[in-house]
Amino acid sequence: MSQLVGHRVLVTGGSRGIGRAIALACAGAGAAVAFNWSRDEDGSEAEETLAVLRATGATVHGVQADVSDAEAVSRLFGSVREALGGAPDILVNNAAVTRDGLLMMLPETGWRRVLDVDLTGAYLCSRSALRGMIAGRWGRIVNVVSPAAFFGKEGASAYAAAKGGLVALTKSLAREVARYRITVNAVSPGFVDTRLIRELAEAERSELERQIPLGRFADPDEIAAAVLFLVSPAASYLTGTTLHVDGGLTML
Amino acid sequence: MDRDALAAEVKQLLVTGLRLDRPPSDIPDDSPIFGDGLGLDSIDALELVVLVEDRFRVSIPDEEVGKRAFASVRALVDFIAEERQP
Repeated sequence: MSQLVGHRVLVTGGSRGIGRAIALACAGAGAAVAFNWSRDEDGSEAEETLAVLRATGATVHGVQADVSDAEAVSRLFGSVREALGGAPDILVNNAAVTRDGLLMMLPETGWRRVLDVDLTGAYLCSRSALRGMIAGRWGRIVNVVSPAAFFGKEGASAYAAAKGGLVALTKSLAREVARYRITVNAVSPGFVDTRLIRELAEAERSELERQIPLGRFADPDEIAAAVLFLVSPAASYLTGTTLHVDGGLTML
Repeated sequence: MDRDALAAEVKQLLVTGLRLDRPPSDIPDDSPIFGDGLGLDSIDALELVVLVEDRFRVSIPDEEVGKRAFASVRALVDFIAEERQP
């Protein structure tokens, strides 16, 4: 697999879970790969991820940065350019937080934090990445969204609103930059077997599994495979769309 | 670099970078860059931002600065002359 040789990838929120799987898939395909993480407590996972990525032989770079902070994003892109030898031509907006709670009782700080990271973070990273992509007349942006964007989700209105916004951003930006051979797509992972799912009670897990036509949770690698496809030459004629990698949950 | 040389360089960049079908010397200094002037649209502006930033080491971070910088060829030359990093 060498379809991404010569490309530079930035995966936001790449220290664990789906982001780590995406970073690893891109490194395995020959790309130079950078990722960021935000919280101090994720530093040790980030170190592990760096080690796993390095083992592929790829050029790799990890840096702590909060994507909702414009100055931090500017520093992030500066350090990525330096470490990878140029601006990223592939951006995966994966960083996200959620804040559970019914909307009527959701504090404004919680609402704003979710919108700031999940939606504004993608805006800030995309606008930084686009300059290099337009100069090179080639680019790939993939936004990681959620079935909540399409179905809504009780107790997660901020998250659903941010992800719904990210779907609309995907389509609008796809139209704006198509002329420069930059494609912008989304991947909507269903229930993925990450820490969040593993912490659920057994009864809850099986109830969730019953809702999925394929009858099981996704492996993070199955999400990464869809992202890898979208950034690969094989997906050159796709833009503005969402791949629902969710075992048949959505079927739009 | 004097102003005339800078203006010539800007016009050359407009012609080659944006593939305009006219010689640089045919572009008047007061020509608006977008709309009726050179016939460019707002999506062309994205490429012009990148070209001008790279070539002249200036920063055009948002629409407000962009509108000022791209008001006309003369405005762009003035903007570059003022904002250019050493």
